[in-house]
Amino acid sequence: MVRDMSIFFRRRRRQKEQDDKEQKKQPSSKGNAEKDKDKNKDDEKANKHAEEWEKELSKSTDYQKKDYINRKTGKKFIFTFIPTLVEEKVLDNNALPPLLEEEFLKIIDVKKLLPIADVEVSSDTKKIAQKLLDGYVLLTLEEDTREFAFFSAKKTVVRSVTSPEIEFSVIGPKEAFVESIGDNLNMVRTRLPVKELIIEEYTVGKLSRTKVAVIYIDGITNKEIINTVKQRIDDIVKDEIADSSYFTQLIADNGNSPFPQLLDSERPDRVASSLAEGKVAIIVDGSPHALIGPTSLTEFFNAFEDYFLNWILATFIRMIRLFAVVFSIMITPLYVAVVTHHYELIPKDLLVTLVASRRVVPFPPVLEALFLEVTIELLREAGARLPTKVGQTIGIVGGIVIGTASVEAGLTSNVLLIFIALSALASFTTPVYQMSNTIRLLRFPFLFMAEIWGILGMTIAFSFLIAHLLRLTSLGLPYMEPVFPLRLHDFKDALFRLPFSSQSKRPTFLRTGDSSRFSKDKAKKKKDIDE
Amino acid sequence: MQQSIPESLKISPFMAAFVVVSMQIGIGVLGFQRIISKDAGYDAWMSVIGAGLAVHIIVWMMYKICEGVDGDVMAANIFVFGKTIGNSINTLFIIYFTMTCLTLLSGLIEVIRTWMFLSMHPIFFASVYLLLGIYIVNGGFRTVVGISLFGIVVPAYLLFSFLAPIRYGDFTNLLPIFDHTPVQMLKGAYNMTLTYLGYGVLLFIYPFIKKPKESKKWVHIGLTATMIFYTLLAVITFAYFPISLLQKSIWATLEMWKIVKLPFIERFEYLGLANWALIILPNVAISLWVASRVAKRVYHISQRKAVLFIAAVVLICVLMLDSRERINIFHDLQAKAGFILAFIYTPFLYILLLIKKKVNAK
Amino acid sequence: MKVTRILLTLLMCCLLLVGCNPRYERKVIDDINIATGMGIDKSGDQLKGSIMIPVFKADKSMENFLFTAKGTIMRDVAAQMQQKASQPIFSGSMDVALFEEVVAREGIVQVLDVFLRDPSVGARVHLAVVDGKAQEIFEGNYGDRGNAQYLKDLIEHNMEGGNLPLTNLHSFLFNFYQQGKDPYLPYLKQESPELVNITGIAIFKDEKVIDILHENKMFYFKLLVDKFSMGQVKVKEEHGEATVKSITSDTNMKLTKRKPYEITVQIKLKGLLTEHEGTRLEKNEVKDIEKELEKQINKTCLKLLEDFQKQKVDPIGVGHFVKTKTRNFNFEKWQTDYQDVTFKVSTNVRILEVGVVE
Repeated sequence: MVRDMSIFFRRRRRQKEQDDKEQKKQPSSKGNAEKDKDKNKDDEKANKHAEEWEKELSKSTDYQKKDYINRKTGKKFIFTFIPTLVEEKVLDNNALPPLLEEEFLKIIDVKKLLPIADVEVSSDTKKIAQKLLDGYVLLTLEEDTREFAFFSAKKTVVRSVTSPEIEFSVIGPKEAFVESIGDNLNMVRTRLPVKELIIEEYTVGKLSRTKVAVIYIDGITNKEIINTVKQRIDDIVKDEIADSSYFTQLIADNGNSPFPQLLDSERPDRVASSLAEGKVAIIVDGSPHALIGPTSLTEFFNAFEDYFLNWILATFIRMIRLFAVVFSIMITPLYVAVVTHHYELIPKDLLVTLVASRRVVPFPPVLEALFLEVTIELLREAGARLPTKVGQTIGIVGGIVIGTASVEAGLTSNVLLIFIALSALASFTTPVYQMSNTIRLLRFPFLFMAEIWGILGMTIAFSFLIAHLLRLTSLGLPYMEPVFPLRLHDFKDALFRLPFSSQSKRPTFLRTGDSSRFSKDKAKKKKDIDE
Repeated sequence: MQQSIPESLKISPFMAAFVVVSMQIGIGVLGFQRIISKDAGYDAWMSVIGAGLAVHIIVWMMYKICEGVDGDVMAANIFVFGKTIGNSINTLFIIYFTMTCLTLLSGLIEVIRTWMFLSMHPIFFASVYLLLGIYIVNGGFRTVVGISLFGIVVPAYLLFSFLAPIRYGDFTNLLPIFDHTPVQMLKGAYNMTLTYLGYGVLLFIYPFIKKPKESKKWVHIGLTATMIFYTLLAVITFAYFPISLLQKSIWATLEMWKIVKLPFIERFEYLGLANWALIILPNVAISLWVASRVAKRVYHISQRKAVLFIAAVVLICVLMLDSRERINIFHDLQAKAGFILAFIYTPFLYILLLIKKKVNAK
Repeated sequence: MKVTRILLTLLMCCLLLVGCNPRYERKVIDDINIATGMGIDKSGDQLKGSIMIPVFKADKSMENFLFTAKGTIMRDVAAQMQQKASQPIFSGSMDVALFEEVVAREGIVQVLDVFLRDPSVGARVHLAVVDGKAQEIFEGNYGDRGNAQYLKDLIEHNMEGGNLPLTNLHSFLFNFYQQGKDPYLPYLKQESPELVNITGIAIFKDEKVIDILHENKMFYFKLLVDKFSMGQVKVKEEHGEATVKSITSDTNMKLTKRKPYEITVQIKLKGLLTEHEGTRLEKNEVKDIEKELEKQINKTCLKLLEDFQKQKVDPIGVGHFVKTKTRNFNFEKWQTDYQDVTFKVSTNVRILEVGVVE
């Protein structure tokens, strides 16, 4: 099959060449001249000959070709490379001394001579341009240009491994991913040194040629999930990929949802433990965030630090976090709903406070709430765009000054100011940054519905939210798991976090190849009293 | 003829119970106490149990029908009556479930307009609510089932609110027991069967259940739970209201919430009512789904289009049901149709199916 | 995707339409008058209604404002009040409704109809009959939490820890609609512009007040009608007066004989001795106090029951009790049978604690 294809291609190429010749022979009419030129250009690109790639590359100033002469044989050899991509130390210290000093006749000999692991001998001229752009050095002998060698001398500009900033934890490992895919894979491999850990590399993007690694553990991760991921990566058509977050959007099941459908993490430990659960991780070159999937809604509210704490504390903190999310979404709409429509619901003692604080406000509650919400959003956005130190100042100054001033000016009621500040605070407890963005957004539809139909409107908005979440999937698996489909077993590590000893099984919804994490018999048995 | 349902779209047997129960608990819960006590007085709680037991028998028959043809009731109709008559009976189901959707929606709107927003125009609420229904149905059967789960689990906290009226109730109201004739109690039971309606959806979701045999247990447990819930609610209501006051209370359940007091909420009934929109939602979604699915099966049109069409019909009809009188007439009609489908049509189909099978076997 | 987009657009349109709908109502808390108390007085031939509105001030204190209007029916009165108010009056947060005794003696069914039909009125509204004018009570000034809150707290704490039986709108309606039972309401009197006192219980026959029970009988009345009671009672014995506070009580009726009916009321009471006049509590004195209290309760309760019988009212619910024991009960015949019922009261008192002094 493959051979047939290549024959077919060869034939086509030959035919094209013939066509070209014919066209050159026949003087073309004026109207067709430009079209033909274009066509010729395309053809040239398709069959890159040695001269052509050289022409293209030499347009850039960072293209170099250097001649050297071997001292023993007197043979001339040429280095072709892009100096901005190449580590010159490798050339100076590793490549040049043996090539200049030692004897070599053919290009094959280079392989033995060079103290560099990644040396390749080839005669395929089409490869050259790409290899040069990947940071390889091309070595050719003057007399024989048909065969040549590549060796890797890539210079990588990487920052060193630092501690996680977004998913910071007080206890636990302090390393975070960096931009280099090699380093990142290294960090994952070191945490899971088993032969079953499979890394598959892909190149995505016509222009950026981003390297993407799909990682999973063979025998544990469900084959279907892996295939889905591969399929989706193959289907990507975007030309340039700057970060893994592009990926989240490109391979998401539903691109029109504000909810992130892949979990991103900058912690190698989190990636490793997700892999051990039977999930797939995607690491994108140039991005310090790995993607984990399939994921579910509850996972976005679990910080990895939960696993470093005792299970009782961790469960308590998770509960607090869930409460914070609900509070953060609901409290402002609830204020608007009650104050606008349901005065009956307010206990008498609270009524005094509420009415007294609203008395001076000239706007309807919804505008008052929108005003403050938008202010908070502005502060957040300004804080995010400005340099860290200025950002903090803006946050504090803006929060205190604008809040107090707007209450004093009678633009907002102070009760609402407290609610909004609390809900902003509560939304920061969400451990995953992308989800906390979503939560920021969610309260606006609720606010709108609360204005129209009070708590009834909030119920409707809530129903829409639930319906939307139920329709979502992550890599083909339900997003609302373990609530729906109901899997009581998976609750152990979703809303709660039960002790490790009770989590002897991998999450059922992942349909793993090997569902048991450890045998339960080995787990500690209870001793009787005084034994 | 019948397409098999892909395994990944099927639901677990446990979930089948949620679909049935969420379909049973609808707008009727808000005011069934008045209707059942009209004839049977305060002995009606026994009618509730009696009617509940009758429902078990009907559901048993429904399972037998579906098992007989290994498919839904549409397949059974075609098997028993042939393609032409079978499909015309199936068309009746489209009408019935459209009516069910309409009943629920108009009932909900009526309650909201009486209790919350006196001048709310039904068109806005109905269209938003139906959009929500369409959105759910477009997500497929799994989403519909998910909504039934949430429609039960989230408002489940309302159960605790029924404890508050007990303090004000006088349970001697129920005494003396058997103060009514069996005929009166039967009438009460008949009225109660109308409140129980909704289990008929089983006939349509059967092919979507993973292990239908296993689901039997769960569905019957679900039915029993509904029966216990209705019985307790009836008993609490009877204790809370003297009979002549109950006869004046159209929405007795809502009236009972008026007595609940929480430190942060002065009036519980508004919260309960708002939550009722979430309880009605699975009902509307399921009936839209069933109606559109039958339409798809019978007329071979796309289900997406069918849902839109049915929702449009419901929307127009909601606008026409604008007075309590009309709504009552319509609700009675729908309830009668439901009764006939459950208690006359189902046994009839079951017997015919048995005969037909015997004949075929020979 | 296309479908979703269309749906979203439709949704937006709907919401915008709702937002622009001029008929669409809002009840923003500072733009409405929240009625917390309602009073009905008699003025000539007409009814005079007054509605109390709290006025919230920016320094979180509050004052009361009173709307009054005259009319023949309640809806008329309400409509007139709306005419006077700059902001609409809403009755959803009503706490108390007071009736002048004269009005209550003529019947309050009209007002009740208003309450029944309007779903915004809660079931926990406290109703009371007033000695004097309801308007005067509202015009007083009772503490900084507002008059309505004061009246509500007054009634509620007396129901929870005093001699007042449980009453509110629901229990009034319950007793009113219960066959074989008559309603009752607390009877209030303004002692001074800063103080209101519960001076007794108004006993209704159907919808009309026919008798006012004196406050020293309230304890016994509560024993008979309420399920459990916390109240205080004085006992006189040879060593002087003692006060007993009941913690729990349990009242049971027993139909001991039919034709003519004989009903035994059994009362069980557990209480604390809170006050004792004697210098020392003698050894058997507690027993004596128990005995004395039993006698006292027996006597007074029996008197109460017989008084009610004479007046042909039944706030205890004897008729309902007999009905629960009889199939096909005939309430019309009961009207005459009630007169022939003989009552017996037997009480069992246990004093559990005598306080921390010996």
